[in-house]
Amino acid sequence: MTTLATPPQETNEPERPALITPRKPKVGRWALFAVMVGVAVVMLYPFWVMIITSLESEQQFLSGGGFSWLSWSGLSSTIPVGQEVLSSTIVCSASIFVILCVGLPAGFAFSKLRFRTSTSVFLVIVSAMMVPLQAILMPEFVNVTKLGLTGGYFGAILVYAALGTPFSTFLFTTYFRGVPDELIEAGIVDGLGYVGVLGRLIIPVAVPAIATVTVLQFIQIWDDLLVGLLFIQNTNERPITVGLAVLAAGRTTSIPELMAGSLVSALPAMIVYLGFQRYLVKGLTMGIDR
Amino acid sequence: MSVIATKAPRPMRAGRMTLRRRRQFAGFLFALPAIALVIGFIGVPIGQAIYYSFTSWNGLTSQWIGPSTWSQAFHNSNLWTALQNNALLLLSVPFALGLPLLIAVLLHQRVAGWRIFRSIYFMPTAISWVVLGLVAERFFAYQGTLNSIIHAFGFAHTNTNMLGYESTALSALGITFVFTMIGTNTMLFLTGLATLDPTLEEAARIDGAGRWRIFRSITLPHLSRFIQLAFVMTVIALFSALFSLIFVMTGGGPGYATTTMEFLIYQTGFNQGDFGTAALYGIILFVLTGIVGIVQLRLIGSNE
Repeated sequence: MTTLATPPQETNEPERPALITPRKPKVGRWALFAVMVGVAVVMLYPFWVMIITSLESEQQFLSGGGFSWLSWSGLSSTIPVGQEVLSSTIVCSASIFVILCVGLPAGFAFSKLRFRTSTSVFLVIVSAMMVPLQAILMPEFVNVTKLGLTGGYFGAILVYAALGTPFSTFLFTTYFRGVPDELIEAGIVDGLGYVGVLGRLIIPVAVPAIATVTVLQFIQIWDDLLVGLLFIQNTNERPITVGLAVLAAGRTTSIPELMAGSLVSALPAMIVYLGFQRYLVKGLTMGIDR
Repeated sequence: MSVIATKAPRPMRAGRMTLRRRRQFAGFLFALPAIALVIGFIGVPIGQAIYYSFTSWNGLTSQWIGPSTWSQAFHNSNLWTALQNNALLLLSVPFALGLPLLIAVLLHQRVAGWRIFRSIYFMPTAISWVVLGLVAERFFAYQGTLNSIIHAFGFAHTNTNMLGYESTALSALGITFVFTMIGTNTMLFLTGLATLDPTLEEAARIDGAGRWRIFRSITLPHLSRFIQLAFVMTVIALFSALFSLIFVMTGGGPGYATTTMEFLIYQTGFNQGDFGTAALYGIILFVLTGIVGIVQLRLIGSNE
């Protein structure tokens, strides 16, 4: 994003601002700044609501204001946040692990070890990206239930993995197309074998792609509701997003406590997002920005 | 499988052939888990959904009925309500694209602190639509922020409760949807703007072109591919990602006012236990998103 010829440091450009705004430069800049602050207020609104509301007790919330730690101190008795965050973490990391283990070799195969019909197989897998889970929800639910996988985390992990595999395969394939064939040939000549080439040569150069898949899938799976809601039947194993949604739909939980729980659920995804912003952008614009 | 036999010395050409075969076989094996996962969990259920759409099915036992299930489904007013809700929600797409475009152009001006603004604008993208739905519910509630704003503008006795009425609930859902899409689409457009050659704008400016002219004749055409991609992503999200918002904000109500296709599938299957009809609705949703999907594949394809 910083590939522009002009460095983005505003202070070092004595000439450019004059070129951009020949008329009334000062006023224009200030107006622009004011608009940006306005947009920022709108975008920060959800966080403001969550923080302010969670710092009220239920009575204060209903009567219109006040300050109390009550919603936070009583949080774990209403919403089992600890257990739910743990469930979310388990489901997320296991699903991402499967998605990487399946998508990376497939991407390597579709880009470098092409076999007969590999082009059409690749197209079929990529088209699967477009299939929304709701379209196949009923058979999927019955199949996974019949396999006896809705009791623990396995059903949800497999469904998430299957839904994430088309995208990760697509991303790894496009990424590996940029790797020179000579690298693989050299590895084969050295007697590494294809598994060795994959493990020792391909995975090390794939780190940025791995990061992109991980970050995107983490946010997607952590934030998801439908799969966790249906494919994890045991209420003690519910991920946090599901726990929140079910309590919210029940309409008996106090709003301040729901907001505190929301903040807890939002925090990990936000940390990941702020830390790995550039991988997120890369993943979103994959296939168009090259 | 003749791989093992070729370890023994052989004429040059035969050796090459098997090397190529070996590579293909390795490729097939590497791709196999992905193929199996996608076929098993996406391909097979599509076939099953088509089959079960012709049956009466409660999840345990199914009974073949035939094409009459389809004609019956199209006589069901709930299906038409859901389709109509989806169609009405499409009206929010121009806003879900226009606002991010404007924000991206503003960010691209790079006023002081634009990086911080960028991070702030994208922040809601990281949080779950369940959480954003909860916040939106607070916003539209009788004692919520929207009414506070209206009161602050001097209309002290005007009170709205958009989620509470059939006539306004869908609009509230649409507004929330636009908000949730702002981060992603702004990100897309900003990436597009970053690939724009700044000397082009500069040259046009020297030639005396105004800002609007530059935007229309240089910036917009350059962004067309990004706008197309954002359009497809937004429409797909509209058909298949509203579940979380609807689940926490309205539960599909009041009445069926905010029941979209995807929510109708969930309700029909899990609240009414009518798995067959839900599978049938799934096929309809599949076809709808398929049409949009073909457009996207064309976009990706034309790029390579």
